[in-house]
Amino acid sequence: MSELVDAIVSLKEEEALEIVRYRLEAGEEPMSLVEEARGGITIVGERFQSKEYFLSELIMSGEIFKQVMSLIEPKLTGDIRTETIGNIVLGTVKGDIHNIGKDIVASLLRIAGFEVFDLGTDVAPQTFVEKLLETGAPILGMSALVTPSFESMKDTVKAIEEEGIRDKIKVIIGGGMVIKQIKDYVGADAFTRDAAEGVAICKEFIEVTQK
Amino acid sequence: MIRETMTPQQRVQAAIDLRVPDRVPVLPLQTHFFACRYKGLDGYEMVRDVERARQAHIEVFYELGGFDGQVIPGISYIFPRTLPGIVREPLFKIPGIDLPRDSIIQHDEREILQPEDYDLIADLGWKAFAEKYYNKFNPRTAPEILAWGERQTAKYIEDGEVWTERGVPVYQGGEIYSPLMFFSMFRTLQQFTLDLYRRPDRVEAAMDAIVDDFIQYGIEQVSLTSYPWVMLVLERGGSFYYPLKIFERFEWPYMKKMTEAWVKVGITPLLHFDQDWTLNLPYFKELPKGCICEFDSATDIFKAKEILGGKQCIMGDVRASLLTHGTPDEVVEYCNRLIDVVGKGGGFILSSGCYVPVDAKFENVKAMIDCAKTHAPVG
Repeated sequence: MSELVDAIVSLKEEEALEIVRYRLEAGEEPMSLVEEARGGITIVGERFQSKEYFLSELIMSGEIFKQVMSLIEPKLTGDIRTETIGNIVLGTVKGDIHNIGKDIVASLLRIAGFEVFDLGTDVAPQTFVEKLLETGAPILGMSALVTPSFESMKDTVKAIEEEGIRDKIKVIIGGGMVIKQIKDYVGADAFTRDAAEGVAICKEFIEVTQK
Repeated sequence: MIRETMTPQQRVQAAIDLRVPDRVPVLPLQTHFFACRYKGLDGYEMVRDVERARQAHIEVFYELGGFDGQVIPGISYIFPRTLPGIVREPLFKIPGIDLPRDSIIQHDEREILQPEDYDLIADLGWKAFAEKYYNKFNPRTAPEILAWGERQTAKYIEDGEVWTERGVPVYQGGEIYSPLMFFSMFRTLQQFTLDLYRRPDRVEAAMDAIVDDFIQYGIEQVSLTSYPWVMLVLERGGSFYYPLKIFERFEWPYMKKMTEAWVKVGITPLLHFDQDWTLNLPYFKELPKGCICEFDSATDIFKAKEILGGKQCIMGDVRASLLTHGTPDEVVEYCNRLIDVVGKGGGFILSSGCYVPVDAKFENVKAMIDCAKTHAPVG
């Protein structure tokens, strides 16, 4: 494990930034630093999925990564985007302003290599539909915490059906209150209360849709 | 039906004292919103049409066949009569005003405090800080905020009397956030979490500066009514969010201090554990006797019984989505399991996991209540 990876994984913010500054000044190739930093948060993501790390460690490492990137980006000349494994549209549904669970899943999905189109909270059915059409994403992830929001999930699935694209989209719902009965009520393809499990399901969806 | 030989208060107190009651007590938590929706009121009316909302709440209580009392009598808050005692309450978004008319009340979590406020609070103390900087929390004038607090308190007392004059006990006289919960709500989860890594000593100093005032607010709230419980609102400090080393430094010492201080003066702390606290359960063996540990279905309540059985009263935890989208048979199956396993040997109060959701099915809430009245723990 390089010093930079170790600093990110051990959540040493100042140390990580110092290493990046030093290596940039020494003329090191910026893209290799980006790859190392990505390696660091990938390890954090794996540790979160294996329950060794907690949400706080995910939040802090994400912040360090952001700071590291803000140092590197001015030095980058080309496109820093790398291959993604697939697109996903994500959001908390209309009538619900809870973002914590959705944000955890978004972080883990990005670490896993997804391109995440995060629409935020209180997202209307038609907004989801428009983003799915625009991005061609084969997966829709909807989050909700309060029970009345399950109606909005159902409305969104209905809107996708009315658009004629339901058979092209896999729908997963998540949140602390989601159970099988809710999945059936909403008409989703999968449900989860666990972010790591949600990412695993999305990976399976991608494999299925790419066959 | 199980033959009842205790009053509701005796039954609930037996559970708190870890004795075996005549039957398991049942206290659905916060039935106001559910009752109002069931009687056709929209989100705005539930909050603003006091008389119709009260009437709906009462009617539904009796249509459900009654239960062992109201933990929370209505939807208002009870406040100490000072500015620092009022502005510590997080703000809400109100249906019909900030949200669509038929939505539900939701917390408005924003970055109201800044990193430098930890130092100010630590240096000035909570009271002096809040007296000087109350407009950070609330844009209204000091007299307006005080008048609002008075109205809320008066309404809470009226809500309570509506029940007690009908012989229905009310339990909760106060509601306080733990220091961690307080700073997390006013800094936001994201920023507060970063603070824990970037400036832990300042966060701790600010927590040390507010905890005694928050204990005192609980005592003052309870003194305004005869209701003996204080809800300690906990969500953000548990194992869903943080490793144990953070919990041990920033949540546990304060939780312990607050509950010990309240128990000492005869108050029952209702520890409202939202989210998953399963890894934290062993610590709660050290809480003073006389607390209630209430779980919302995210914590493993059966594990809680294994660890806390015979040491703490456990309350919970019929999942909100089971009450909204399950069937009465599924509710009965889960409640019977709770009564058999968690209720075995006493020390258990059957309840909804967190509040009864606004869109719960009437027959499911009734099934939960009837379970307590008909199903005795095995063995």
